[in-house]
Amino acid sequence: MSPTPADGAAPAEGPQPLLRVAGLCKRFGALKVLHGIDLDVHRGEVVVIIGPSGSGKSTLLNCLNFLEPYDEGEVHFDGVLVGYRLDDKGRKRPMSHRAMSELRSEMGMVFQSFNLFPHKTVLQNVIEGPRIVRRQRRKEAIALGQALLDKVGIGDKAHVYPANISGGQQQRAAIARALAMRPRAMLFDEPTSALDPELVGEVLDVMKTLAAEGMTMVVVTHEMGFAREVADRLIVMDHGRIIEVGSAQEIFASPTHPRTAEFLRKVL
Amino acid sequence: MYTWHFDVPWDYRAVFLRGAAVTAEISVGALIIGLTCGLVIGLARLSKRRALSWPAAFFVETFRSTPTIVQLVWIYYALPILTGIQLSAYNAVLLGLGGHTAAYMAEIFRAGVNSIEKGQMRAALAIGMTPYQAMRRIILPQAVRRMVPPFVNEFATLVKLTSLASVLAVPEILHEANNLIASTYRPMEIYSTVALCFALIVFPMIYAASILEKLWRKDR
Repeated sequence: MSPTPADGAAPAEGPQPLLRVAGLCKRFGALKVLHGIDLDVHRGEVVVIIGPSGSGKSTLLNCLNFLEPYDEGEVHFDGVLVGYRLDDKGRKRPMSHRAMSELRSEMGMVFQSFNLFPHKTVLQNVIEGPRIVRRQRRKEAIALGQALLDKVGIGDKAHVYPANISGGQQQRAAIARALAMRPRAMLFDEPTSALDPELVGEVLDVMKTLAAEGMTMVVVTHEMGFAREVADRLIVMDHGRIIEVGSAQEIFASPTHPRTAEFLRKVL
Repeated sequence: MYTWHFDVPWDYRAVFLRGAAVTAEISVGALIIGLTCGLVIGLARLSKRRALSWPAAFFVETFRSTPTIVQLVWIYYALPILTGIQLSAYNAVLLGLGGHTAAYMAEIFRAGVNSIEKGQMRAALAIGMTPYQAMRRIILPQAVRRMVPPFVNEFATLVKLTSLASVLAVPEILHEANNLIASTYRPMEIYSTVALCFALIVFPMIYAASILEKLWRKDR
């Protein structure tokens, strides 16, 4: 059972954003890393988050699917509160593992360090979610998995272990693994930062294809070219706050915040 | 010059075989107890819930910080006084060595699980697995491979610890040997044979484990 109330028929293409972040705060001990983030991500939108390291970009991304629990504020995915349920008195209680896993399976995530399962072949990595989480039949899962591997251009590596393919191929396999759950949004956490420069392009190309197909995407990246080309909206973060929002063209051409200007001078 | 008389232990080979059978039995029994309880206790100790992790830690540290021989004697002599449950010497040894092994296995499980990169759990959760599914499908299969060397080590230790059962008069190899010494006055030959018996039981396991390790390394 999906916890989504508005699931079932065609989800309303109305004003409700797919992801809604409101007043999000996150602390690591005494250190406050997110200071009240507000952000809406609409269906089909590609939001790219940039900013200096330590600005809270990755933490924000990890709060969206609750891999990082947040302290204050709310994250809603398609109207469902992420990570908590409200009890009779309206207090936040931890969400059940089952409901949490249901939600997470609808948000694909791609990590900087790939995190493929090393004891499984590439194809086994991709069918693991459909088989175990969705209880799909083996045959169907393999057909879907092979199709996705073909789509990201590594169909011939299906039966190879992750350790025996390049970083770029591993990251594409990881994207296929996330897509196998047929997610409604994809979260990318610096997907090309661990790659050799010559392998970055092949991963970005897969991401561009996804964006062109209308996938809702939130991308934390240092690839300014990708941001310029693909982002519908660019978010600049600094010290746990969103300091600037706009189109990539606008922000690159005339940043309004001095810290944005300073950051862009360093990376552009 | 001392003249060795290995014909004496040879004449009594049936006694050694009988003792070896009991040693093997206790080893396997304690291993089964140790493995199952060790997995549960190890995972409990990893839990964020203190109601689980603290008792597990108490169990492990109690067994790790006291001498095994004292544990066996205590279970056999003190437990009946405290609880009224009188175990047979054999069962007391099984319980004691089983608990001892569980404590060490728990630590091996815990270290094995902790050695797996945090990103593995995150990736498993991200595709929608529950923590339990992630542990069973992703973390443990990888961790178990890393646990094999310390695990075999622990089993070898366990086999040798069974000789402590002799203090409770359980008829394993050492106890049988002591009886033999009392009647044949040939301690050197008999203790040498005891050592050989243990080596013959322990060495094949160590060898098998090293082969397994090589096999697993290959298919990466």
